[in-house]
Amino acid sequence: MSIEAQNLNVYIKDNHILKDVNIRLPEKQITCIIGPSGCGKSTLLRTFNRLIDSTEGVKIEGKVLVDGQDIIHSGAEITELRRKIGLVSQRPCPLPMSIFGNVAYGCRINRMFKKRKQLIYHVQKNLRDVGLLDEIKGRMHTPAARLSIGQQQRLCLARSLAVQPEYILADEATSALDPISSKTVEDLFVSLKERYTIIMVTHTLRQALRIADNVVFMYLGQVIEAGPAQQVFNHPQEELTQKYLAGAFS
Amino acid sequence: MQKLRIIKDRVAQGTMFSLTILSILLVAIIAIGLYLKSAPVLDDKSLWTLLFSSEWRPMKGEFGFLPFIMGTIWVTILAILFSLPISLLTAVYLTEYSKPIVRKFVFPALDILAALPSVVYGVWGVLVIVPWISQHLAPLFVDFSTGYTALAAGIVLGVMVIPLMVSLFVEVFTTVPVELRQASLALGATRWQTAIRVVFRKTLPGIIASVVLAVSRAMGETIAVLMVCGCVIHIPESVLDACYPIPALIANNYGEMLSMPFYESALMFAALILFVVVLIFNLLSRIILYRLEKTEK
Repeated sequence: MSIEAQNLNVYIKDNHILKDVNIRLPEKQITCIIGPSGCGKSTLLRTFNRLIDSTEGVKIEGKVLVDGQDIIHSGAEITELRRKIGLVSQRPCPLPMSIFGNVAYGCRINRMFKKRKQLIYHVQKNLRDVGLLDEIKGRMHTPAARLSIGQQQRLCLARSLAVQPEYILADEATSALDPISSKTVEDLFVSLKERYTIIMVTHTLRQALRIADNVVFMYLGQVIEAGPAQQVFNHPQEELTQKYLAGAFS
Repeated sequence: MQKLRIIKDRVAQGTMFSLTILSILLVAIIAIGLYLKSAPVLDDKSLWTLLFSSEWRPMKGEFGFLPFIMGTIWVTILAILFSLPISLLTAVYLTEYSKPIVRKFVFPALDILAALPSVVYGVWGVLVIVPWISQHLAPLFVDFSTGYTALAAGIVLGVMVIPLMVSLFVEVFTTVPVELRQASLALGATRWQTAIRVVFRKTLPGIIASVVLAVSRAMGETIAVLMVCGCVIHIPESVLDACYPIPALIANNYGEMLSMPFYESALMFAALILFVVVLIFNLLSRIILYRLEKTEK
């Protein structure tokens, strides 16, 4: 039960985006991928659930092992892979349907329940898990777009959790939110690590300091340093990491 | 010198403004013209008789437009039934599935199809569709058919509006943000599920507006339809009946036998009907699109 990249190289058109990435992400922990803008954090994240495929002119070399299976070359069932790996994107992106419809969407396309009662129960449970159920009482069937942006992000999280993933990828999931919503979502991630392996891209160093168990520091498409948060933050081995942590560049 | 270029700018602005107004006025002028020309027959007969009587005897001064209106409706509905699924699926393929290289070749091809003169489609209909209906399709259902039928007109017209519909649909579908598609894909949805459940739902008003535009285009199409529709004045009872849509009526008869009282006026009234219907359809699609933009915000 882990995600592992071996000699991973990703090219988009003629640009070498990820260079020889070798990392193993421990399960049931929060791994934060940090690094300056354009260093390939998001690309790495999107390679894990192969959303990168929809990018034009992309070429992937090397291996990405999810639960021991190479997802790049084995011809693995991509829909099942994506169900197993939830994604929370930077801006909340509610589907054009009701709040209920959003959470039920993944269950429906994956045919998870036969009875509507089970589905309703499941949707409520997931909304409760992200603390939305009470906030939206009586508005279950109104368009999701009417929620505040912070609520939308939690809805997106509930939507991801509803398909019972094992991993959650979060791509700067709090950067578009106000400070209070941001804190709520962050706390949610911390509480979710008991059950899920969470991989988070963040460009606020302080967030990583607060919640990361593990840290991967990337620079210009390379993994410079990776390891337990304590070690990387307190005793960085590489000069680049030291400089980045000291705020020499961002 | 300095003054001159400012004067030039002003003059240019004024000229372009008047030209813009003129083109808008043109619509009004045509509407008024059609109305004035059709006034004699409108004075003579009630609107009801004109629209809902099927007695068409210009010699006796009887002008019932129902056969032509029904002909138009039949042909238009057939055309849309035929072209809508094809266009929708083509557009889904182009926006959701195809590689950019495919689009690079398909879009220019569609543009060429859209730009082909309609008489070419008419000839194609006469040479291919009409014989096919007459020899292969119709014998399965009726004893005899010339092939010049509402169905032939519907197919030819359908093929004609496909390029228009596809490009409208593609335009509508590309308004859906990539993030929305990815949100669906990331939950384990296939591209097909994403297209049906997310893209269609998101763009439904746009799809409707596009269809309405295509309908108004189809209703006014003349030459290609005229060549294959059979031009028999009666209310078609099946798709294998000949029909006689309004544009064909006008094109076939205007300029002939205009010495007959009210005949010209009646034909102008036919044009007015088309004008009004197309106007209403266009307004409808505008309103739908406007609503769409408003709910987006």
